Amino acid sequence: MTDELDPIPEDERDDVLAAEYALGLLEDAERDAARRRAGAEPDFAARVLAWEARLAPLGNLAPVPPPAAARAALHARLFPDAAPKPFWRRAGPWQVLAGAALALAVAVLLLVSFDRNGGGGPLYPAEIASEAGDFRVIAVVDKTRDEVVLTRTAGAAPPGRVLQVWAHGPDEPAQSVGLWPAGETVRLPLPPEIAAVRGTLTLGVSEEPPGGSPTGSPSGRVFGTVDIPGVGPSS
Amino acid sequence: MGAVSATDGRSGRRDRPAAPSGDVAADRAAIEGYIARAALGERAAFTALYDATSGKLHAVCIRVLGAGRDAEDAMQDAYVKVWRNAGRYRATGHSPMTWLITIARNTAIDRLRARRGDADVADYDAALAAPGATPEQSAVAASEAGRLVACLDELPADRRAAITGAYLDGRSYAWLAAEAGVPLNTMRTWLRRGLIALRACMAR
Repeated sequence: MTDELDPIPEDERDDVLAAEYALGLLEDAERDAARRRAGAEPDFAARVLAWEARLAPLGNLAPVPPPAAARAALHARLFPDAAPKPFWRRAGPWQVLAGAALALAVAVLLLVSFDRNGGGGPLYPAEIASEAGDFRVIAVVDKTRDEVVLTRTAGAAPPGRVLQVWAHGPDEPAQSVGLWPAGETVRLPLPPEIAAVRGTLTLGVSEEPPGGSPTGSPSGRVFGTVDIPGVGPSS
Repeated sequence: MGAVSATDGRSGRRDRPAAPSGDVAADRAAIEGYIARAALGERAAFTALYDATSGKLHAVCIRVLGAGRDAEDAMQDAYVKVWRNAGRYRATGHSPMTWLITIARNTAIDRLRARRGDADVADYDAALAAPGATPEQSAVAASEAGRLVACLDELPADRRAAITGAYLDGRSYAWLAAEAGVPLNTMRTWLRRGLIALRACMAR
């Protein structure tokens, strides 16, 4: 019995490869090559995603509730401490990568904010960075003025989209702080609920349609969040 | 999530996707909201997401790995990825259940292959990192559950078995070929033709 692989028409090759990749049928060099293409070529990535969507109904089975112990174990794994703690892990390896540029950006922002608030109240610097490292923002919360100043150091909203800033306190629902339609820096007053937060203040940035998210929660990609512990009242 | 029909098919039996629940749109909006808020680090939203979807993800893991500790661990691993990647959900253009099921399926298959000692398998992260999916794609997903079943039914039985075997049992080409008693490239040709036919049918 001969064992020949029938050739695939040229215009089907990418889609068949995307399907094989989505199914996990590729091995070794073929798999690695497909993975690189999925990360680099929007067209190929869209094909992989389309296959995931086509095939996902096969995994849509009748629910089997997991034991309560699994829920508790997952919580213990993700949230090891009862008290909120910074999600530094979620911010990825930015600490390692951030160098002199970051330090300088923070210093400049601090100076700007410090200057404005007259040197009185507490300032809380933080960085929001995407896991992929393609988007970074330095944020400084100024509790004297109850403002946050944000500066982009990498990345931007996609064309035709705007940035939106979100915040929440410990175990509180996130709310919009404001839109960041253009520019490298934006200064936003904190909404009263956010100004009232004591303890860990979480800031996040997403990309949204012009005018902001229509849903009250992020509707686009959330680039990242940062937890700022120990936020207190202005003195 | 709505009540759905149960089918556990070990190899040989058909795997029928569950029927859609009665209030798909409301479920979907709620789950998307949980994912969006989880992306901002809201633990309560993540917990709500877990409570609304863990039965489904657990079922996928059981289907791939069999009931027990491995399936529970795989489900947990899947939710760790969900928590860490929630901000990237929108970029995939998937419906929320497609996104969650794909993560659970890939995580369970990874574990299955590690158990078998096979080589590492496709990394879902590569697809998640990929930009460029359009919102229209996700709209397609909801209506595709029924269509997938109909289109799988149009395929020859051996090709249908190969596709479900690859998706739910993590079968490699070599394994599928041995199981069907055909040479490897014959299986690869079958499966590729089956996939092209499946896509054409679902696009009708």
